[in-house]
Amino acid sequence: MSAAPTPLLRVAGLQKLFPIRKGFLKRTAGYVRAVDGVSFHIDEGETLGLVGESGCGKTTTARCVLRAIEPTAGEIFIRVANGSVVELGQLRPAELRALRREMQMIFQDPFTSLNPRMTLLDLVGEPLLVHGMKSRREREERVADLLRRVGLRPEYMRRFPHAFSGGERQRIGIARALALHPRLVVADEPVSALDVSVQAQILNLLVDLQADLRLTYLFVAHDLSVVRHISNRVAVMYVGRMVELAKTDELYRAPRHPYTAALLSAAPEPDPRVRSRRLMLQGEVANPAAPPGGCYFHPRCPYAIDVCRTETPAWQEISPAHFVGCHRAHELQLAGVE
Amino acid sequence: MTREPLLSVRNLKTYFIQDEGLVKAVDGVSFDVAEGVTLGIVGESGCGKSVTARSILRIVDRPGRIVEGEIHFRRPSANGGPGRTVDLATLEPNGAEMRAIRGAEIALIFQEPMSSFSPVHTIGSQIVEAIRLHQPGGRREARDKTIELLRRVGVSSPEERVDQLSNQLSGGMRQRAMIAMALSCHPTLLIADEPTTALDVTTQTQILELMRQLQQEDGMAIMLITHDLGVIATMATDVAVMYLGRVVEQAPVDAIFHAPLHPYTRALLRSIPRIRSRARLVPIAGAVPHPYDRPTGCPFHPRCAEFKAGTCDRQEPRLTRIGDHHTVSCFLYE
Repeated sequence: MSAAPTPLLRVAGLQKLFPIRKGFLKRTAGYVRAVDGVSFHIDEGETLGLVGESGCGKTTTARCVLRAIEPTAGEIFIRVANGSVVELGQLRPAELRALRREMQMIFQDPFTSLNPRMTLLDLVGEPLLVHGMKSRREREERVADLLRRVGLRPEYMRRFPHAFSGGERQRIGIARALALHPRLVVADEPVSALDVSVQAQILNLLVDLQADLRLTYLFVAHDLSVVRHISNRVAVMYVGRMVELAKTDELYRAPRHPYTAALLSAAPEPDPRVRSRRLMLQGEVANPAAPPGGCYFHPRCPYAIDVCRTETPAWQEISPAHFVGCHRAHELQLAGVE
Repeated sequence: MTREPLLSVRNLKTYFIQDEGLVKAVDGVSFDVAEGVTLGIVGESGCGKSVTARSILRIVDRPGRIVEGEIHFRRPSANGGPGRTVDLATLEPNGAEMRAIRGAEIALIFQEPMSSFSPVHTIGSQIVEAIRLHQPGGRREARDKTIELLRRVGVSSPEERVDQLSNQLSGGMRQRAMIAMALSCHPTLLIADEPTTALDVTTQTQILELMRQLQQEDGMAIMLITHDLGVIATMATDVAVMYLGRVVEQAPVDAIFHAPLHPYTRALLRSIPRIRSRARLVPIAGAVPHPYDRPTGCPFHPRCAEFKAGTCDRQEPRLTRIGDHHTVSCFLYE
């Protein structure tokens, strides 16, 4: 019997604290616990969706994975092309730079993430140049190929981004991310700035590219419908911690954490005949600079009991490959969506 | 007996005349809002939904201006009987009558609660100002009213919040305060322009529920403008679908979602991801055209699956009535 293949990415105990500085001497008055002990893995060719509300730490997690910002603690293991596993935190800057070609990012806002003074050829060709493709001719060929792949006409490569619509700009951003044949692509809210009628085009493109190029996605989003469409597994974050992680259909059909259930019931469905029994949460998201004791969700949780107020729930595997951080996960019967 | 609608917009055209060209932001829009119901206006960026709202309130920024059309609004009367109807399009934007209507009889809440309050005045002083502008009574009385309003919209410890600045409130609390200000003069029509778009989904649920509850208590009509079909399905009684400055279809909410007629409405419903399904999405081809190069004929024809050459690209479809409450603007139904 062969062992399960090593995951492409494994994150263990990731933590990122941002200092809060106060006063003339800029003394550290406390920390925003943006990401507070997050662990997960992603297999090759898989999409892990990372959902949560604003300020839950999903974007910070994604950026730490790429070491676009330095994590405070934790380990990030990535399996590189030759099969060996490296820990990103141990790498020297030059080694990290070489590894960057395997990990790329797609950003939320296609209007601010593309330099308006660069043509498509420069934008998409820049990573090629940085990583040593010196011949302009070669770059042009590769850029033409990439533009075709994302559904843009290669003739457009001398134009500037302002000539393109939001959806087309997002395609340019995707072409740029794919230029170096990455294996891991981190997409941070890639469709949330787009018109409704264009979102589906980009989601379908991401699905097709994944199948063709055997990409692995970490897909960060706040929209649970979008995440369901693209993810194999989904992780839910709340105030810097992961509260649940499971296969997509299982998480939506049978959530085990009250916060996941609340998110699912809050998503307004485009069907007036579905008047779901809303599980309406009281209050607002906790402040990550001064989170409550115990389970961070307890002040809003309709099922909270004494232990929730004092003890941090353990991250437990409640059924195979289904993880949850809730004291009462075993006894609660929560409603999902079909 | 059906009373005449509270608001009746007829063939409204608001154009922006610029050096780069003419932008027909609103190009012949007609719809009615009945008393006490919610009309949802749904559309993508550039469809003219916000300019329509601003036209009704007569706060269109230069160089935009209403070039044609009527906006009939029935003003409330003192004794509760049928009020007098005025055409807002003919009023002076800063004249006495328009100022008496705006903010009092027709109130507006915006998408961005952060930028709709002044950052240097307390929440309370801004609501007090709105109250004193339209209602008799002293400062003390207006302040008590403000605290009561804040309590009513679910702002916690309103006695303290009333003296806070808007940046001391969370997004959800700011939107509640915004709603309190909008309701301060008992409007008969509340225009809500993307009221929950900047909010998280659990906060959105709270705000939508609050709006529904306040509508039941006060009986005001709501014109809810959004791009989110989920919000429309939860809130609206009737829906108008807009595309590039036109209403392409209007019907009761159930018909829009379960018997849509216009190819744009049908395509939009097929293209949105749904929380209950993982089926591959059916996208709409192309993108919303730039307002400077608006297609001829039916504005949707370059993206339409049922495009008929020679008709759709040459002539403009008329709004056609199908059944009692359903209108559509498409050659398939003419």
